[in-house]
Formats: sequence, structure tokens, C-alpha cells
Amino acid sequence: MRNQLKNIARSRGLENAILLSILLFLFNLIFPLHDSVVLAIINELLVFLSVFFLYHYLHQFLNAKVDSPLTLVLNAGILAALIFFIVSITNSILGSSDSSKGIGFFNSLFSVLLAFVFIGSIVYIFSTFRELFFLRQKKDLSTFYNTMLIFFALSFFSNILILFDSSFDYPKDAFYVVTIVLICLNSTRVSWIAFLTKKQKYYLLIISVILSTLFGINFATFIDNSIMRQIIYTFSPGLHTLMSLIMIYGTINFGIIFFTTLFHLPTAEAFDRKAEEVSSLMDLTNLITQVFDFKELAETITTITTRVCNSDSAWLVLKSDINIELSSVHNIGYVDADKITNNLLGSGENYDSIEIVQFDSILSNTNAGGQLFKSIAIAPLKVHKKINGYLFAARHRENNFDQDEKKTVQAFADYAAVALENAKLIEESIEKERLEKELDVARDIQKKILPSTVPTSNRLEISALFVPAFEVGGDYYDFFELSNDLLGFVVADVSGKGISSAFIMAEVKGIFESLSKIITNPKELLIKANDTLKRSLDKRNFVTAIYGIINKKNGTLNFARAGHTPILLCSGERIQSIQPPGIGLGLDYNPGFASSLKEMEIQLKNNDIIICYSDGIPEAKNHKEEDFGYDRLDNIVLNNREKSLDLISNEVMKELSLFSKNHSQHDDITLVLFKWNQNN
Amino acid sequence: MAEFNVNLRDVGSVSVIDVKGYLDAHTAPELENIFNKLLVEKQFKVVVNFDELKYISSAGLGVFMAYVETMRENKGDIKFSNMKENVYNIFDLLGFPILYEFYKEEKEAVHKFSDQG
Repeated sequence: MRNQLKNIARSRGLENAILLSILLFLFNLIFPLHDSVVLAIINELLVFLSVFFLYHYLHQFLNAKVDSPLTLVLNAGILAALIFFIVSITNSILGSSDSSKGIGFFNSLFSVLLAFVFIGSIVYIFSTFRELFFLRQKKDLSTFYNTMLIFFALSFFSNILILFDSSFDYPKDAFYVVTIVLICLNSTRVSWIAFLTKKQKYYLLIISVILSTLFGINFATFIDNSIMRQIIYTFSPGLHTLMSLIMIYGTINFGIIFFTTLFHLPTAEAFDRKAEEVSSLMDLTNLITQVFDFKELAETITTITTRVCNSDSAWLVLKSDINIELSSVHNIGYVDADKITNNLLGSGENYDSIEIVQFDSILSNTNAGGQLFKSIAIAPLKVHKKINGYLFAARHRENNFDQDEKKTVQAFADYAAVALENAKLIEESIEKERLEKELDVARDIQKKILPSTVPTSNRLEISALFVPAFEVGGDYYDFFELSNDLLGFVVADVSGKGISSAFIMAEVKGIFESLSKIITNPKELLIKANDTLKRSLDKRNFVTAIYGIINKKNGTLNFARAGHTPILLCSGERIQSIQPPGIGLGLDYNPGFASSLKEMEIQLKNNDIIICYSDGIPEAKNHKEEDFGYDRLDNIVLNNREKSLDLISNEVMKELSLFSKNHSQHDDITLVLFKWNQNN
Repeated sequence: MAEFNVNLRDVGSVSVIDVKGYLDAHTAPELENIFNKLLVEKQFKVVVNFDELKYISSAGLGVFMAYVETMRENKGDIKFSNMKENVYNIFDLLGFPILYEFYKEEKEAVHKFSDQG
């Protein structure tokens, strides 16, 4: 029921208020004098409902303005002044003559309009009080307030009783007094004053004393037996009671506001500073997540520290294992700040928590460029118990930093520490991202360099498998159709990882591709490749390679090995590792390289399998850091030798991933197989 | 993370580097630091003792390649000793024995320097 009423009042507040106002207006034009009791009661009801609906409508409207209580106060004040103005003008024009007793149309129109202005004004003022009452209240005080509202209503309607019997006026007086008591109680809820700034408090102090007086005068004129009182009282006795009560409310409320503000003035400055501290800390929190440049943030921190901690200068230094670096200064020169910092920290001293240093004890022998600081607060920038720097706040004045200010300086230092850590992490993640992009590029290069298909021929079955490692190794293999009968191939491994090895690999491809067209001798080709590569390779890089030429007509394999893993030859039930001597490309110049290298020739028999692979296979690790080794590879090939080459590759990969599960693949894996089919 | 330790000590006029654990791309810079220090100190006679080394990657090998030339130009050398078979195989595959001297014992390697003067 109550909620329904509330809903009607709220949702259609404006419409209801307008509707009732029009009714009231028409009613009063038709019956300018409420001489019968019924008319008077209807009139009182209309007035009350107009006030009620308007009040509820204004509540929504004013609620949006509660963030600036001073505006609310000022608006209420303007309306109070308006009432005062109208009352004074009316009283002085009409004098104390009782001409209003006449029932002229204009007179009644005038009194109705006047009444409307008053209704509007007092409802607005009353709503303002309501907003101020609930402003910044932590507890639910609506019971207190609603009780007062009920007594307002009771006082309003108690006037009707007098209509029946003019001696029956004590309930009205009783309600009136109780309402005033409740007004007094409710007027003490003025905690919002504490949250005003110092300037606003001064402003409020002046406004409230004026308003209190103004409401007082208004009240006096309504009580006084003036023409105004008569007009209102004739229009509606309840409205008159309401107006006088609200004027009392205003007087008391603003009186209390005045004194409260007065008592709040001495602490206004401290409150302002605390508020600024909190808001600057909040700003800093925002900045930390937005500003990636620590230098910029450091500047903000020193500026805020100077302002909020009542210091004259502030500066921030960063400390690493080797040196101390000035990051930003405020109100002090770099040179001076540096001097003082060195003086305080130069002896390798550490300040584990905030400390206050008096000028006399430390700086007496330093001429800090005329900057005579009496006391300096030093707060460490600490993250995970490691001190990354210090925040300094310095004062010219004699008075020391108090406990509160110390805490504030430390709070700013903590923020700086977090920001510093943040900046570091961001830098690291950018670097990581860059590396990951680099890896992507490297993988891309590698993918494009390797052949997408393997050559096919009747007598020579070929299969190639390549599995890149996350970090990108430098494995490379390729096939070169040298003539109808001759197929050249290379399997190589560039030392190192990442983009550098990917680039070397690209170069290696170029070298082998061009050399394979000119030189048909594997050893000669590798020697030439070494000459070319040695010029461009970094000292610490090398390339291992096997270059071979298979004659597809008669099944001879010529090859030379430059430091690469040996080739496997599976012939019948025997498997052997063939490792002719030869050092890696880039390890030594000629003639050292050339003399180390031996070329080999193998005559393949039917169903012989040649296996070339990179060290990614034997050096694959399991969770115990054991190698996959050569024997395992030998056995897999032997056991599966009857199968197709692709199946053998799959088998190797399967065993390999079984072996090194739970262990990341740290090097590329390359497996190139040839099978000689004599009979085709 | 595989561990790696490197220790430098002097045996007469020869610097002996003890390497221990896993020498790969991540740990190679530690070894490089030692070599840089030796270059600054103009100490060119180096023996690397592999007794406790478990694994070496191509990046690890690269470290020796990077410094051996300078050492040899200054009448010094990098010699290897006490290498486990599996580690030696890696060196062997690449043909390092043709370019570097390998010794069973550290003492032999150190003596070799003294013999040369």
C-alpha cells in the first residue's frame, strides 16, 4: 500500500502535481471564500496533495544535484529571499488595510497566485532540506525523517479541527511543538559539512548566517498579524502552518549549519590536505596503469609529494647494484639534489624504512647551493624487500615531518616502487614479444627455404621429415636435380638458434644451390662452401653439412661430411654408421678444412636405405635429461626396414615423442631417407 | 633450468677453467665472461677441464671458437682435458680434434704449455 502510494507519487509526480494545482486553482476561483466546512476541507486536501506530489517530484530533480550541496543551499536561499521580497512588497503596498476581505475576482486571483508561488518555494526549500539531511549519512535515518514528515502533515490537518470548534486548538499547538522538536533533532544531521573544502566552508559560513536570519524574519512576518498572514490563512490555514514550520526549520537548520561550519573551520586545512592526499593517490593509481614511461610518472610523484607533504622540494633517485641515478626533481636543481643524495647515500648507507634526517647532523659540511634544508625525509622504494631507489622530501622550515606526513611520503614512495616494477615488467614483456615475433620470422624463413616436395624417381624412393623446434634451430635439407641421372642432396645444421641462424641458413641454401650447379664433386663443393661461408660467419657460428650425389642409374652414392652427424646405411639386416672425417663448415680455413675432409663412395644394393638426420634426433632428451642416442634410431630403422620410407619416418617420430614426452623439443629434427630399388 | 657452473683457477702460468653442468645458449655467456676476463688480464694459456660437464650445445662450442684465435695469436691456446665420452663425441663429430688438443688429464694439458715455454 505504502509502496504503491510511493510509486504513484514518484512515477507521475509532475503530472499529478500539475493536475492538482489546476484543480486547486479552479476550485479557488469558483469558491474564493471557503465559508463552509466542506469547502474548507476539500481545499485543505487539494493543497496538501499538491504539496505532496510536488515534493516527490522535486526529490528526483534535486537528487541529481547532491554532489554540490552549496548549490542546493544557495537555491533555497534565493527562494527564501523571494518569499521575503514578496511578503515585504505585499505588506507595504497593501498596508494593514483589510481590503482583501472583498471578494473581487482580481483579489482572489492574486491571492491564489501568491499561494502558488509560496507552495512552490516552500516545497523546493523543504526538498532541499531533505537532500541535505540525507547527504553523506552512513546510517539509514529515514525513520527520523519520516516521523517528522508525519508531524508536518498532522500540524497541517489539525487546522481543520479548528474549523469545527475554534476553541479546539490545543492539538494543533501540540503537533506544532512536537514538529519543532523533531526539526531541531533532524537539523543536527549536517555531516556533509565536513567534506567541504576550506574555501567552501567559509562560503557556507556566510551564507548560512544570512539564510538563518532571512528565514527567521520570514517566520516573524507570517506569525505577525500582517496582511500577508491574512491572505495565506484565508487561502488555507494548513498552508500557513506549513510555511511557518518550514521557516522555523530554515532558521534552525541554517543556524546549526552556521555553528557546525564554524567549529569545522580549524580542521578545514587538515581535512583538505587529507582529501588531496587521497585524491592524488587515486590519480597515481590511475597513472601507474596508464603511463608506461617511468620518468614521466616519477615527475608526477615528486610534484605531488612536494605539494601534499608540505615540503619545499622533492626528488626521486633510482638505485641499481652499481650506481645511484637521479630520476626526477621538483623545486630543486639536479646538481643540488645530486649533492645531497650523495651526501646521504654516498657512504653506501641504506635506509630500510622512512627516516628523517636533520640538516645539522648530515649536511652541515655540504654547501647545497644555498638550498638550506632543515629536515629531509628519505623513503625507500621497496619491492620484494629489494630497495630500488629513494624518494626524498625536503623542508626549509624548522618543523619536522610528523608521523602522518612520514606515512604519506612512504605511501608515495611505495607507489613509485610499484610503478617502477611495472615499467620494468612492461619493458620485459615488450622484449619478449619482440623475440617471439623474431621467432615467427625465423620460422617463416625456415619454412620457405625447405623444399615443399621431394623428388620422385623409379629407382630411388625419397622421404623427408622436418619438425621445427619452438626456438627455431637451423636445420636445412635440399635436393638438386643435377642431370637426368644425378641427384644432389644436402642435409645441414646451422649452429645456434633464432633469427641469426635462420639468416645463415638462407645463405647456406644460396651457396649450396649455386655451387651444386657448378661443382659435381661433394668434397670440392664443401671446400668451396666453407670458403664462402667462413667470410660471413661469426667466429662462434658454424655449419655442419653432408653433401651427396646419388646416381639414379647405377645406385652409387658419393658424399662428404663436414662435421655433420654420420649417415646410416641399412643394408639387409645390418645397419652401420658411416662417418668419413671432416670438420664443420666455418671451423677452419683452408687448407685445414680441405685436408680434414674425405669423400666416400658407396655402391647401394637393392633395398638399401640411407638415412641422414640432424643432431636433434640423437640429442633429444627425456625428463631425466638422457639422450635418445644412436642405438634407438638404429633399431627403429632395422625393425621397420621392410616398410615404406614414410612409415619409417613416422615410426622414428613416434618413438622420439614417446621418449621425450614431458620435455620440450629444443632443437629442430630433420630426417631424410633414401631407398634404392634396383629392380624397378 | 639446467644448471651450469664455471670456475677459474691458476695452475702456474696456466689458467684452468672448470666447467660443470650444462653448457648451452643460455649458459654460454657465463663462460664468455670468464674468457673476456682472461683477455683483459692478458692470460692466453687456457685449459678447460670438462670433468663435470654433462652436456654441451653448439652455442657452447661456439665460445671456444670465438676465443681460440686470439689466444693462439698471443702464443697461447685453449686445450681441453678430462672430457667424458659423450661430450667428446660431440666435439669429435664436428672435427674439433683436428683443430684443438684434447688430453685425458688436466696435468698433461698444463704440462704441454710449460713444454712449449
